[in-house]
Amino acid sequence: MSSEHPTRAEDFDLYALGALDNAERQAFESHIASCADCAEKVAAARGRMAILAFAAPTVAPSPGVKETLMRQVIASAEGPGGSVARLHPGHAEDSGVFARWWAVLLPVAGAFALATVLLWLHNEQLNRQLADLRNTIEQQKQELVETRHQADLIAARETLVVPLWAQKGTPESHGEGHARVLYNAKEGMMTYDGWLPAAPADKSYQLWLVPMNGAPISAGVFNPQNGEMSHMMMKLPAGVTAKEFAVSLEPAGGMPHPTGPMVLVGPIS
Amino acid sequence: MTAEKRAELKATDASLIDRIVRRDESALAALYDRYSGMLSSVLNRILRDTQAAEEILQDIFYQLWRNAAQFDSSRGSLSGWLLVIARNRAISRLRRHNPASGDELSENTVVVASNLESSVAQQQLMAKVKSALDNLPKEQRAAIELAYFEGLTHSEIAQRTGDPLGTVKTRLRSAVETLKRDLHP
Repeated sequence: MSSEHPTRAEDFDLYALGALDNAERQAFESHIASCADCAEKVAAARGRMAILAFAAPTVAPSPGVKETLMRQVIASAEGPGGSVARLHPGHAEDSGVFARWWAVLLPVAGAFALATVLLWLHNEQLNRQLADLRNTIEQQKQELVETRHQADLIAARETLVVPLWAQKGTPESHGEGHARVLYNAKEGMMTYDGWLPAAPADKSYQLWLVPMNGAPISAGVFNPQNGEMSHMMMKLPAGVTAKEFAVSLEPAGGMPHPTGPMVLVGPIS
Repeated sequence: MTAEKRAELKATDASLIDRIVRRDESALAALYDRYSGMLSSVLNRILRDTQAAEEILQDIFYQLWRNAAQFDSSRGSLSGWLLVIARNRAISRLRRHNPASGDELSENTVVVASNLESSVAQQQLMAKVKSALDNLPKEQRAAIELAYFEGLTHSEIAQRTGDPLGTVKTRLRSAVETLKRDLHP
């Protein structure tokens, strides 16, 4: 068949169908390469065989194919540096350099993005822990300052240690309670440690310094919880000589002057 | 439907190819809409693998985008070329060898007698082809389907079916004769 025209018309169709075995096919191709008439017949036979595709059941492509194709087209239009998108990276026959790069770079970029998010979340968690630690340190510093102050107060010769005793006949506190006041008149420093039953809902306890001369000075308002000790440290005007210390039961929030019953009293002997 | 969409439906393949050559992406999208269903069907029938079929589908249209200037619509039909290329590539993938030569737009002339530019024409041709195949004797139809959808040669069909080579050749020859008569009177 190499130098002669195919003898039968169907030979063109069988060639176009791809049914010819190797030797026949090569002979056929060698002929049509130099025979324009037969090449034309092959083109028509290809068309006749091509339409057999319509025997295939209809399967529409997924919308993602068109989207990926158009992204690929737009990327290629951006120039030689443009990226080439692939619908299914890793299975391409004709993918080219860009597609292979994308197949590698996309998972790497995804991993980086994920790592960035995880690191950010971890960083946020560490920041919160750091803030908590700073708060704890500040509290501990404050406690240390107070402890030192109290130690200095106790160590000072002029500091008074005054026990306060419950007053019988005060139904509000059931005659219960006790406390201790450290007072340094020179520094105007004072601490209070004591226990009292919880105050009624609309009441507060108020600590007073009763000077030798003049009206009582409020040294603080407090509302102890049931069964808990109260600790207070306060700064008062320096140089006030105290006659006694007292705790009264006042309307919630305290009063400028004592109005309620005295539940604890500690005279300076 | 927008006026632009209607215009693209009416546009000929040749005019859309011209626009692709001028880097008009919408023309490629229009050709994709026109022929992707037809190609997807044959690719899936040959490969029976949706992922592989969609990769080839994308590659074919991307090749069209890159090399549209090589296509000479006066020499052959775009629909025919697309069908031939889709089948060649699918069978190459199926048989795990490189795509057949003659894959390029400029090298592979295909003349399809029917104008397949409208979906109605495609539907009509589909009915006609299915009817023609249904009318073939069972053995002839099986032989032609093995050749077309699996890319088997005469010898390979004989090996697959266990029939003598001469019988297979006769069956295929009779089948293409009948199809030519029924589909291209």
